[in-house]
Amino acid sequence: MNDARIRTHPILGELPPRKEIRFAFNGIPMQGLEGETIAAVLLAQGIRTLRYHEASGRPRGIFCNIGHCMECRVTVDGIDGIRACLTTIKEGMEIHAGRKLPAPLKRGGVTP
Amino acid sequence: MNESETIICRCEEVTLGELMSAAKQYRCSARELKLRTRAGMGYCGGRVCRHAIDTIARLANDVPDPHEPPLKHQPPVRPVSFLHLGGEAN
Repeated sequence: MNDARIRTHPILGELPPRKEIRFAFNGIPMQGLEGETIAAVLLAQGIRTLRYHEASGRPRGIFCNIGHCMECRVTVDGIDGIRACLTTIKEGMEIHAGRKLPAPLKRGGVTP
Repeated sequence: MNESETIICRCEEVTLGELMSAAKQYRCSARELKLRTRAGMGYCGGRVCRHAIDTIARLANDVPDPHEPPLKHQPPVRPVSFLHLGGEAN
């Protein structure tokens, strides 16, 4: 896997190999390592956009990374509002990014 | 610092510029500022921006009211889904 992971640590040395986990992000099959969070595994592959803001559609990603800000929430196996920074990947997991939602009842469709 | 680009409330996407102009226009409390702009009313429950909104409201008033209560924490303090409450979550 060509990615941004630390495999040889300057102090800890060579890190032990970990089991590979397969999952899908927005329908695209991917692989990660056991114990990694959704946010970490996507960041390692260069994916920084975890969702798009419901109203404005602007991209969002990791902000606090400690489960505090809810910015990294994604839909996991059909359950929304799951924090990518706290949830570890599991075999066969299907992750979907949040999208901009339609706002047909809002005047002009945007907030003033 | 560019006020119009600095986001204070990420959940509701409210910028520092919007908060400053509302605070200056209405000279209001933190709670009124929150209700006018929706800052602090989003998914995270104001955990990220609550103190910033309190500070902006205080700074915008020339004579701050010492008895004005700060924005409150609404229970549940941590987000709990109905899935967890119902015991369905793993």
